[in-house]
Amino acid sequence: MLRASIETQGEEVDLRGLTDGKAAGESSISGAAALVDFVEATLGGNTDEIAVARDLVRSELGSEALVDAAAVIGNFERMVRVADGTGIPLDAAVNVATEEIRSELGIDAFASEERKSEVATWQRLMARAIDPLAKIGLRWQGRRASR
Amino acid sequence: MTVADVFGTLELCAVEVAISMSLDSAFQYAAQLEDPVRADLVESHRRSWARLAESGTWWTGPERIAIAAASRAAIDCALCRERKEALSPFSVTGAHDGVSGGGSEGLVPEAAIDAAHRIVTDASRLSGTWVEGLAEQGVSDAHYVELLSVVVSVRSIDAFHRAMGLPLEPLPEPTPGGCEPTRRRPPTAEKTDAFVAMLPSRKPPGEDADLFPGPAPYVIRAMSLVPDAVRWLKDLSGAHYLSMEAGQMFDFANGRGPLSRAQTELIAGRVSAVNECFY
Repeated sequence: MLRASIETQGEEVDLRGLTDGKAAGESSISGAAALVDFVEATLGGNTDEIAVARDLVRSELGSEALVDAAAVIGNFERMVRVADGTGIPLDAAVNVATEEIRSELGIDAFASEERKSEVATWQRLMARAIDPLAKIGLRWQGRRASR
Repeated sequence: MTVADVFGTLELCAVEVAISMSLDSAFQYAAQLEDPVRADLVESHRRSWARLAESGTWWTGPERIAIAAASRAAIDCALCRERKEALSPFSVTGAHDGVSGGGSEGLVPEAAIDAAHRIVTDASRLSGTWVEGLAEQGVSDAHYVELLSVVVSVRSIDAFHRAMGLPLEPLPEPTPGGCEPTRRRPPTAEKTDAFVAMLPSRKPPGEDADLFPGPAPYVIRAMSLVPDAVRWLKDLSGAHYLSMEAGQMFDFANGRGPLSRAQTELIAGRVSAVNECFY
């Protein structure tokens, strides 16, 4: 989802901030470092650190964005537990499309990764063929949205 | 807000006045925060508290609140901390802290309390074998799915509160004279490639047709063994993230409000990574 949303802007996709919070500062996404700090502080549970992170998001992105960011944190505190609690595998298309990224970002080391399915060679080849078309489609969606 | 607004397709019993009264007094964000909280977010949280207080499909209202209380106690539980550090989370035994929170003594099986704690503190290391073993301890697969929906719903609202520096909302009182659980298991649910049975990907038949319109990803179907758990999930997701009904999920160029879609997904991805969830 993150990769797709960055693709719509036609920008370089750098997902390192997902698994390495310090790398978020180099992201092209506005306020990325503040948002990642807000996530880490909230999940860490230290109220002083949360307050500092909250003030930073508010000053960089505004009050409404702060509330929405807190809501998104809440959403994914739920969704990760739904996925892990029910043991669902990745959907086939996502499994194929994210194979390289999961390896690059070290997500393969997570305990829940044991639930992944192996990607067949034909699936990998098909994904490589479709990828350029998907990028064109996403950039078209981005240009259309900015009109 | 009417009761019909709150519960939609859920069956109702004679508790309508009590529910609607309690809804409007909870989640008073305007009095607690200077930051503006969207009305749909407030309403979704109030609906969640009303759902929590009511009987579900497998647990009664008091039992659901006992499970919610146990899930909150997990945050400061010494046993959970010890397990989190252990090589295997199943190698450490003992008693959880705060089991009696919320007046839940003996109300639900110990296995349910343990499940609530594990889901909160160490979800990425749960296993299918463990879920299957719960049935022998009084927690069937359907009981487990409903328990999961209670725990994760409370967890998500509590996370919003923690992020905004708000005190946790007191858990609701069980709805007086609430209905008996219906214990309805969707006839087409089957166990395939997850820990629990779920509905097939195609549009569900009959009274579950509202759950999803056609081919649906695993994460939407994950709790479909208990259809009301999916309805609760969709309600909260629509307020916290993006609406599954309005096609917002597939619009990668636009956010729903002041956050761009990329900012939203960065938060989502970082929460998942910190929780060590590969999904």
